[in-house]
Amino acid sequence: MLTPASFGLAVVCIVPGLYTLALAFTHSSLGQPLAAWSGLGNFHALFQNPEFAQTLLRTVLYALPASFIQLSLGLLIALLLQALRQGQFVRSLVLLPLMTPPVLVGVAWKLLLAPAGGLVNGTLLRLGWIAEPVSLLGSDTWALPALALADTWQWLPFVVILCFAALQTLPADVFEAAALDGASTRGIFLKITLPLLAPALLGIFLLRVVMSLKTFDLVYILTAGGPGRATALASYEVWKTGLQNFDIGAAAAQTLLFSFAVAAVTWPILKALQWVERRTG
Amino acid sequence: MAYQTNYRKNTMDSKDFTPFNRRRFLGTASALGAAGVLAACGKDPVPVTAAPASAPAPAADAKKYAGQSLNLLFNQPHAVAGKLLAEEFEKLTGAKVTVTPVPYDQLHAQATLDVQSGAHQFDVIDYFYHTLGALVADKVVLDVTDWIERDKAQIQPADFLPSLYDTYTLRDGRRWGLPYDGDTHVLFYNTEIFARHKLAAPKTWEDYYQAAKLITEKESANGIYGAAVQGFKIPVIVGSSYANRLAGFGGSFFTADGKPALTSPEAVAAAEELLRIVPYALPTPAETAFEHALPAFLSGKAAMIDFWTDLGVTAQDPKSSQIVDKWSLVQLPVGGKNTTPRAALNAGFGLGITTGTQKTELAWEFVKWATSKDISLQQDVLPGSGIDPNRTSVLNHPDYIKAAPLLQPQLKAAIGNALAWPLQAQSPKLMDALTEQLALIVAGKKKPKDALASAQASWEQLLKA
Repeated sequence: MLTPASFGLAVVCIVPGLYTLALAFTHSSLGQPLAAWSGLGNFHALFQNPEFAQTLLRTVLYALPASFIQLSLGLLIALLLQALRQGQFVRSLVLLPLMTPPVLVGVAWKLLLAPAGGLVNGTLLRLGWIAEPVSLLGSDTWALPALALADTWQWLPFVVILCFAALQTLPADVFEAAALDGASTRGIFLKITLPLLAPALLGIFLLRVVMSLKTFDLVYILTAGGPGRATALASYEVWKTGLQNFDIGAAAAQTLLFSFAVAAVTWPILKALQWVERRTG
Repeated sequence: MAYQTNYRKNTMDSKDFTPFNRRRFLGTASALGAAGVLAACGKDPVPVTAAPASAPAPAADAKKYAGQSLNLLFNQPHAVAGKLLAEEFEKLTGAKVTVTPVPYDQLHAQATLDVQSGAHQFDVIDYFYHTLGALVADKVVLDVTDWIERDKAQIQPADFLPSLYDTYTLRDGRRWGLPYDGDTHVLFYNTEIFARHKLAAPKTWEDYYQAAKLITEKESANGIYGAAVQGFKIPVIVGSSYANRLAGFGGSFFTADGKPALTSPEAVAAAEELLRIVPYALPTPAETAFEHALPAFLSGKAAMIDFWTDLGVTAQDPKSSQIVDKWSLVQLPVGGKNTTPRAALNAGFGLGITTGTQKTELAWEFVKWATSKDISLQQDVLPGSGIDPNRTSVLNHPDYIKAAPLLQPQLKAAIGNALAWPLQAQSPKLMDALTEQLALIVAGKKKPKDALASAQASWEQLLKA
């Protein structure tokens, strides 16, 4: 019974993994993969130049806060949806951004944030809140937060639905008992809802962190990694190395380092998840 | 190289390689070209004085490829031209042509993966000339040197614009395709805004700067800016903006002996010029690419834009332009000690044959036909085709002059000594390294001289590797 599954796993996981490993230790272009052994040459080049390490750090510093904000907002909205008696329509509405293709999300946000003629700048100018257009995507301070904003718009519904589903699984009798004992709403949330939800929330957070670490489409459309290198995230850099500069060997080495970075970031979350699951039974 | 040589030899020696009869083929092409131009130009037909080379070929002979098919990997902006080519070639030969348009930055990867994976979906590729070195190194395109020599009476290589022919096709002493789309930039300006401020068309980058500064200072409160400057961080955007200034200042990417010249006074001056305009440009150059710059110019919100020549067609189309008859164009300005206007070959495409194709004969006939004088002319005067002259005869043809009366003299004057992007196999990497530094300049994160010194170091390292 296990043989077909094992074979499938080997095909989709182990073979590409080994191939990536082989590429990382060779001179490989798009047209001539595995052309010559290069040893640690590709890694050496990456360590010599601090830019890729900075890219990894930037990616982590983007993914963690963005995911945390999305989780917080998602939980808040899920609680509001739960409080709504006729929430079916609102829940359907909330899902709309999730159904939008990522490319369209990027294009829409590019148009929204455009300094000249963009809806956001136009509105702020008309209201007199700003004297001249603000270039969020052209500012090295605001470009990454603007990217996180677009990412949040796109993925918040996903988090909302997962949080909402998790909320439905909580035992109603515990809440009824707490209410009978005179517990406040805040107390119930902090001492009952959150602890019971913790495993699910950590799971959702883990999922979003992994997804945010891999952010590519928004960078590709909104900023191309600019201004300067302000939004150069790891997935985009790997794509650029492999499919724009056609250096597949270097892209494979970047991929492996990126994998280690993803593992380093997700490992503590996984440990926390295990700890919480043990505590909550 | 051995693989290439053997492959070429095999295909060249093929017994079934029987090219069209030149006179019949040209005659048919000429006739179709004339008909196509009349049809394509719709309300405002351009009469074509097609060369009556010979009578059209009898259908039975001409359609010797009936039942065969040809797959083209085409640049997305060339989709209109591709459709025309497919229809006309099928009428002419009976061969069904399928055009797959992809964004320009994916042409190379798609073609390479197609060959490398063994899928062999594509027979002809519409390649960006600066990636040709990499395509050759990766054995993606066929060496057509001997075929050009054999068919030179039909192809008339001397008719290709001299600044394009070698640049678009010659690598390692061999030729790998034929020039198809001769892309360059010119400077478009809004005559209404210029008249309002009593400004003359800029001849120097200093004129350009002063005009942009004046207009932005006077009219930015109304949402009108002096210039749309494309500084988005991808090579064909910010790289083109820089190449325009580099050409204008008389600089080059390389010295005469082939060493990187990014720290030359001209190169630094060009970068400083790019930085200097940022405060007076449509906000903000760092995020300005086609989709911001074009609507701004076409809606009269930007007074100047350095852009591809085919913008002239769009600017006269009332469906997409609010500045119909309110614009003009000039050659790119000059700067520093340079007084001779010079175009930069930003983008520009050739047609090559993939090494994976099994239809070399048909593919070669298509490439010759699509780049021939009459068919080139037909595409060059077709609105929205995105195709610019590849041949001297086309550039000087009365029909092209009539179709592009403003552009033709400027193009003719500037394209002769045009500045090409790097042609080495490492060109994509070189332009990416330069783009990284240009983005830092445009974002104000690095001084031009320091940024170009970094780019120079990267280039030296890449070329050494």
